[in-house]
Amino acid sequence: MARYTIAGVEVNRVSLKNLLLGDKVIYIAYGFLVFALIGMIDVFWDRYFLVSATAFDAGLFPGNREVAAAMKEAVFGSGGEVKREAPWSLYIVNYMYMIYVGSGIVFLVALAELFNITLIKRAAAGFLTLGLGMILAGLFTILVDLNILHLHWMLLSPRYNSGMWLMLPLYIIYIPLIVLEIYLILSHHTNLAKKLALPILLMSLAVEFLEFYVQAKLFDMNSARHLWTTYPLLTFYFMISAFTASAAVMMLYTFLVYRNTDRTKCAAMMDLVKKITLYSVIALGSYEATAYLFIDKKWAGIILFGDFKFYFYAYLLLAVAIPFVLLFKERSSKLAKVIASVSIIIGTYLGRIIFVYGGNAYPMSDRFGIGFEKYGEYEAVKEIVFFMPSWGEAAIVIGSLGIIIFVYRVINLFFSVSMMREP
Amino acid sequence: MNFAMALDYQSCIDCKACEVACKEENGVQLGADKQRIWVTQSEKSIFGEPFVVLHPSQCNHCQDAPCVDVCPTGASYFAIGGIVMSNKETCILCRGCMEACPYDARFVDDTHVAVDKCTFCYDTRIVKGEMTTACQATCPTKVRLFGDLDDEEGELVQLLKHRKFYVLKENEGTVPKLFYLLPEHDMNYAMNSVNEETNIYTWDEFKPLIEKAKTKRSSQWQDIQ
Ligand code: SF4
Ligand code: SF4
Repeated sequence: MARYTIAGVEVNRVSLKNLLLGDKVIYIAYGFLVFALIGMIDVFWDRYFLVSATAFDAGLFPGNREVAAAMKEAVFGSGGEVKREAPWSLYIVNYMYMIYVGSGIVFLVALAELFNITLIKRAAAGFLTLGLGMILAGLFTILVDLNILHLHWMLLSPRYNSGMWLMLPLYIIYIPLIVLEIYLILSHHTNLAKKLALPILLMSLAVEFLEFYVQAKLFDMNSARHLWTTYPLLTFYFMISAFTASAAVMMLYTFLVYRNTDRTKCAAMMDLVKKITLYSVIALGSYEATAYLFIDKKWAGIILFGDFKFYFYAYLLLAVAIPFVLLFKERSSKLAKVIASVSIIIGTYLGRIIFVYGGNAYPMSDRFGIGFEKYGEYEAVKEIVFFMPSWGEAAIVIGSLGIIIFVYRVINLFFSVSMMREP
Repeated sequence: MNFAMALDYQSCIDCKACEVACKEENGVQLGADKQRIWVTQSEKSIFGEPFVVLHPSQCNHCQDAPCVDVCPTGASYFAIGGIVMSNKETCILCRGCMEACPYDARFVDDTHVAVDKCTFCYDTRIVKGEMTTACQATCPTKVRLFGDLDDEEGELVQLLKHRKFYVLKENEGTVPKLFYLLPEHDMNYAMNSVNEETNIYTWDEFKPLIEKAKTKRSSQWQDIQ
């Protein structure tokens, strides 16, 4: 393949056809992106084109049957996107999962850079690109959750001391840093890449902490999220489970990308990542075994013995038990590692879902007043909230996978980030 | 000027007149629950004796409002008189304020695609010099009294000086300005409507809280003409 060298980086010459239709990976990405598109249309339709009748219409056309019907639909129908029975939780699950796991990967790779772990450094560019893709997929999810069409007001009328503004500078620094690191690796600036690893490491940790802070602390007064900040140990749950998932994603990635090209290196790398995964799984298991002693008893009761128990045990089985059994052996087969990775990825995602949905269905704060918790308005939600994300929301979450694949594939096509490089 | 409302909630008969008047005034879907204004009913029983307590409610126009702090675009802001407003133009619908509000007072207005809430009729009445809200004007049992906390001689402060009252979710620290007047002659009703964490105040006790929060926030009050 013809190559250019730009600023010390070899760039592949890619035809437009190759870019848009080159291989089957892009079709998989398109498949997912179609979901994203359908989801966005659904959400935007609800948001901008749903005309509902109001008291004014009733005043203008008293006695009009159509207006009466429209008002009935507006009040009692299924229109509108934010409903008590169907809060937007899957968005938050996906956003937090993607951002946490993506920055977890970046963290682990930066750590490998700092400690000169050659095995990981060989594939660092690919890993980082994958992490970047996940972070962008998370941001995509939350961007749809925000109101894109009005988003210009963020710039035209900014209030900088509000929490959301914490995130903007964070990502504005973090994402370019990752890109710069990828650049340094590709342009063989090994020493500089190692130097940059420390700030990236710190930023990754900041993302993990601040994300928790912004999502929970700023909205501390929300009954559902109240739980997150009341029990400081939960921060660790978020972080440990994210690192477990990051290691699992890295293991799966290694298998998918290198199994045919660099068999021996692939095997060695999988062994190394396996160890990281195993330690994280053990840490996660220990957390789950002890944390409930310190965390709110009511919450523990709901999770361990209440409505969420089946999901919780499924999460434990998938994220901890199965991978532990599969990875504990000195020599576990490639297949075992792959199964363990997939199991962890699904399990930890389930863990996030339980967390966010559980918080929504069972607000932990019995606060006096007009809050919905007091009047049992959550009773109805308990039954359905877990199963019923809106269709548009689910489609966007599925579509975010397309973002990861698309971002990764495009960068890989130009820069061959998936190649193993001797550091 | 520091606008607030006292609610003699024991007189509430849940007739929904305030709700209809408010929704009519502001173009909100009639009947839509918890949009701008609502009445919550708590039905319980103590030792087999059933009771119902009605709490008419709406945005508390918190003196130290968290919804204003989380808004990234300044769409949520304090207007003169400490009335908390939301600007439909600059709202990006991030719903941060909906999450931050401990009273669940905000909702998404489908017709304007923005967050909306009670405005104490600021734009429809107060700026025109009226001193009443649609809900107060229509309440058949005189539950509501809208007024100015800075006017010591005014009806509102006079009432608060004579009656004990409480506010909702005081421990959230938002210093709300809906004052629920404690039922005077029916101790059962009074006890059923509060819990052990509720602080019952006299005006002299509550005034310093208001003053303190006002000092903290009044520099943010904006004139919207
Ligand atoms: S009641 Fe809610 S919306 Fe109203 S000022 Fe207080 S926090 Fe804001
Ligand atoms: S939803 Fe609108 S008013 Fe509320 S915080 Fe976001 S931008 Fe501000």
